[in-house]
Amino acid sequence: MLNHGLENREYIKLPEGVDIAITPAGVVARSYAYIIDFLIRSLVLLAVGTVLAFFGDAGQGLILIAYFLISWGYNILFEMESGQTPGKKRLKIRVVQDNGLPASFSQIVVRNLLRPADMLPIGYFLGLVVMLFNNRFKRIGDWAAGTMVIYDDELATRPELSQGEVHIPTISLTTEEQLAVLAFAERHDELSDARRRELAAILAAPFSAEEHEIEAQLVSYARHFAGQSQHDSDYPQQEGKQ
Amino acid sequence: MKQTQFVKSNSVSWDEFEALCEQNNAESLPVNFPNLYRKVCNDLAIAQSRQYSPVLIEQINRLVQLGQKRLYLSRSNQFSEIWHVARTAFPRALYENRFMLGINLLAFWGLALIAFIWVTIDPDAAYTFLGQSTVLNIEQMYNPSGSVQSAERGASQDLMMFGVYIYNNIGIAFQMFAGGVLFCVGAAFFLLFNSFYFGAVAAHIVNVGFEGPFFSFVITHGSFELTAIIIASAAGCQIGYGLLNPGQYTRAYAMKQAAQKALPLIVGAFLMLVIAAFIEAFWSPRDIANEIKYLVGSGCWAYVIFRLYRGMRYGA
Repeated sequence: MLNHGLENREYIKLPEGVDIAITPAGVVARSYAYIIDFLIRSLVLLAVGTVLAFFGDAGQGLILIAYFLISWGYNILFEMESGQTPGKKRLKIRVVQDNGLPASFSQIVVRNLLRPADMLPIGYFLGLVVMLFNNRFKRIGDWAAGTMVIYDDELATRPELSQGEVHIPTISLTTEEQLAVLAFAERHDELSDARRRELAAILAAPFSAEEHEIEAQLVSYARHFAGQSQHDSDYPQQEGKQ
Repeated sequence: MKQTQFVKSNSVSWDEFEALCEQNNAESLPVNFPNLYRKVCNDLAIAQSRQYSPVLIEQINRLVQLGQKRLYLSRSNQFSEIWHVARTAFPRALYENRFMLGINLLAFWGLALIAFIWVTIDPDAAYTFLGQSTVLNIEQMYNPSGSVQSAERGASQDLMMFGVYIYNNIGIAFQMFAGGVLFCVGAAFFLLFNSFYFGAVAAHIVNVGFEGPFFSFVITHGSFELTAIIIASAAGCQIGYGLLNPGQYTRAYAMKQAAQKALPLIVGAFLMLVIAAFIEAFWSPRDIANEIKYLVGSGCWAYVIFRLYRGMRYGA
């Protein structure tokens, strides 16, 4: 199939006969979102509680009702609108159906009412374990509701490559191989010298290039894959066999 | 076809398609939008199969996602759906889940009866089951000279108790629903615990002769509250059962189906518990003649049983 291994992506089969790629949000992003939401909820409750505390017994009753509404309703209310709580919006993640479409009201309610099961025995432990055992990072509530949490804007995640020489490889590469070259070019500045040479050597094997120039060559190929052109005027003529 | 040619010949239509996808939802789409969408899907398939550059595939992938959302636009979510659920979906769900409901009703009232008989025959067992302090607490609460039903309780205390009942009872119902996912264990445990507790307390109250204040207090809101707790448990068990016995589906799909089937039950139980909390806070503690309370309580029971019967029998 398509590039499964290199990037953390999942494929959804559409009725139109193609697979589209989505990126499920993992434990860390969702935990951050949860912490932000938790803080917002706590602050709101604190504010409500401080005001209502002046109203004696009646105020206490209202505090309990507010606590009930906020603790169960917060996620439902926000996710119903757009699939995003403020925390999820911050992390640019979103709740969607299994087929990638916006989640419906009943799905949102189910996934949020089942939170206590995920929280067992303490601190979302069970939900965490379930999440780690499937590719889409679905917790129990997501399984029952048929939802998942995905990254919102995929396009912004690929960094820009530096301008420079552009070469077109003489052999044609699969999308997955192109992706490997691209990923190497994007990250080669962050790697140590030894590791960079090691990785370049693996990628260089099919290109039969000199060892000292392979890194520059890979980067120039990557520029081509990223869409930079050699010379805008005569680009189509010079392009290698695809 | 080379990638650049492919891009060149399609980029105009892609831009147009993207503009259509990003226009306001209220504006209507052109008639040929589905065709445009299928064309973009086709382009994505071509790009994938010809191993074009990942960046290009990513772009078209995004277009398809946008188009999918625009074309299969789902109904906007609204809280008013709750009323639809309460009026039509809830009775229907009572019918669809009637076997699970029947089992839960039987389990609750059966175990409560066992506990009641046990404690009636052996009064000291109440201390074993409930614990000394709980028993004393309950005796104090329902003592005819005590405080549970008195005119002294003010409006603000009523409101406080309303909050307590909302927070506590509905929280328990939701936890039962969620607990049911764990192979029914969570829901069944809460249900059986509450049933035994209720039976034992009722029997002990009769043993010490406080039945007047007790039954006149619980009869009215008990109709909605106990039934709602049983319904919540049945809803949870339905999901757990879907997981345990998926039939001809995969477990994930069976669980999803069961959750959608059980959802109206928990919404209905939620509304019933709000009614129960209202009665329990504002009606039950009033200092009114027991006869009137029994009359109103019987009326509530008759109504709940009638609706439950109609729901489970005819789905209406």
